[in-house]
Amino acid sequence: MLVIKNLDVAYGHAKVLHDVSLDIEKGETAFFIGRNGAGKTTLLKTIIGLLKPQKGSITYQGQEISSLSPEELYLKGLRYVAQEKKVFGNLTVQENIEIAAYASQEPLERALDKVMSIYPKLEGFLKTKAGQLSGGQRQILLVGRSLVGDPKLLLIDEPTQGLAAIVIEEIVNILTGLKDQVSAVIVEQNLAMVNRLADRIYVLKEGKVAREIINKSEISDTKGLEEYL
Amino acid sequence: MDEDKASLNKPTELPEELRKKPIIERGAIDLMAIAIFFLLITPLLSVHRVTDFMIFCIFAMSFDLLYGYMGRLSFGQMLYLGTGAYCCGLFIKYIGGNPLLAISIGIAFAGMLAMLLGLIIVRTTGACFALINLAFNHIGFFLVLSPLREITRGEDGFGVSASKLGVLNFGSRPIMFGFVLLCLLLVYYCLRRLTSSPYGILIRSIKEDETRVRFLGYNTFLYKWFTFILAGAIAGLAGSLTALNYNYVNPNAMDVHSNVGVVFACLIGGAGNLYGAILGGVIYMVISNFLPIYIYRWEMFLGFSLLIIVFRFRMGVWGYIQRFWEYTIKRKVVPRLMKKEAI
Repeated sequence: MLVIKNLDVAYGHAKVLHDVSLDIEKGETAFFIGRNGAGKTTLLKTIIGLLKPQKGSITYQGQEISSLSPEELYLKGLRYVAQEKKVFGNLTVQENIEIAAYASQEPLERALDKVMSIYPKLEGFLKTKAGQLSGGQRQILLVGRSLVGDPKLLLIDEPTQGLAAIVIEEIVNILTGLKDQVSAVIVEQNLAMVNRLADRIYVLKEGKVAREIINKSEISDTKGLEEYL
Repeated sequence: MDEDKASLNKPTELPEELRKKPIIERGAIDLMAIAIFFLLITPLLSVHRVTDFMIFCIFAMSFDLLYGYMGRLSFGQMLYLGTGAYCCGLFIKYIGGNPLLAISIGIAFAGMLAMLLGLIIVRTTGACFALINLAFNHIGFFLVLSPLREITRGEDGFGVSASKLGVLNFGSRPIMFGFVLLCLLLVYYCLRRLTSSPYGILIRSIKEDETRVRFLGYNTFLYKWFTFILAGAIAGLAGSLTALNYNYVNPNAMDVHSNVGVVFACLIGGAGNLYGAILGGVIYMVISNFLPIYIYRWEMFLGFSLLIIVFRFRMGVWGYIQRFWEYTIKRKVVPRLMKKEAI
């Protein structure tokens, strides 16, 4: 579904990703793990079209997408959920969903149903400004909103960062429920989440793919994965 | 528990109705409130002055669309007001006296200029956006002042005398007043509808974070460009009405320094709200019309007021009225009255 070959990305003269290659299949939930500064977020930003690669190719469903803009990629079914839980804080929860529904030309009611199906509690906050939601609710809203339209691949950056354990559990449950519906690439440091959801793990180190893990026993070995963080 | 659930579900039923039905009803109440307000202040301030106030309010709404809704601060909105005024005035002077056609020409040319310049300007943000607008405003000002003086009569300006069009005699102050009021209500209504639509949600989102709007599949450039053109055209309408109201156009209609007035109006009224723009427009006009009678160098007062607003009262007058309504009336008084009724 998503194939990256020999990707080099730089911020000005500083090269951040070196010769990155990976292959994510349809229906998979893949994780990028690694220490801070390893290039995980940069890789996601490059896939979504925010950064242009110096070298290499990104192929999505057989089509080269490295030159496409974020808005074009959205229409192809890629959804990016950025870190820091950035909802549109001055818009209401409903407006946050409506803006996504309008983009994908999905009826508002159906869009609302989709979001409510993963987190019914949000229904009581539809007229609340999204900026007034808790961090966890904002994150769930973002994940829910990414399901509006016809998403094929979710790119989620650190969904559990800074959240309480109980909220993380809720997010893991939501993402587990989505596993059969949509493919996902998730940047995450929370290994408990990685253990439960990952079909494939890419360990990034200093801008390179240090390891690819597809073995189930290795994926569920928290201790083994810890050495990469 | 069930009660909790029910109360949580309540707001979801409301918005669907709120979204579709009341826009017209609430819009009609708004229109009546605005009309009554201007009719009430007319005996206190004179017809001509209130007409001038209303024209400025139209201009303030055009600026608010850019700044309050889309988050783009422009120091050059006077360029479009001036373009509207000059094109309307020149049309009447050289081509024909039909005032409605002249107004249409003023709007169209201001809109077309915004369309052309917008191709460059809306690609920028922040200080760059503000200053590029200022630069174009300067260019426009000096163009009408000097290179085009053969047509525009330079610093002296020229008289504008529109011909009668049935009952539409712009020489009559009450008719001018009624026409401008109609324009103000029309602009308010259209902008209200527009800003309550998905387009309105979108431009408010662009104000918050344009990049994230792009992640949702939107070509933000087109929306920004359209908003810029619309704001330019509305400013052009204000300019055309100014020309007809004063029967005179000179470079003051494009003076870069006058941009301060509209910025002040939006800030004091409350940016991002059409009511705020109108209220701010009236407050600014009252200050600029009456303060000079009592205070020499009254502009200094404007400067201090602006500092106080920026540091202490960012929501503007309308913002605080809304907050007062939300917290005091809606949350305390209304439930209390409902409780009494239940008893």
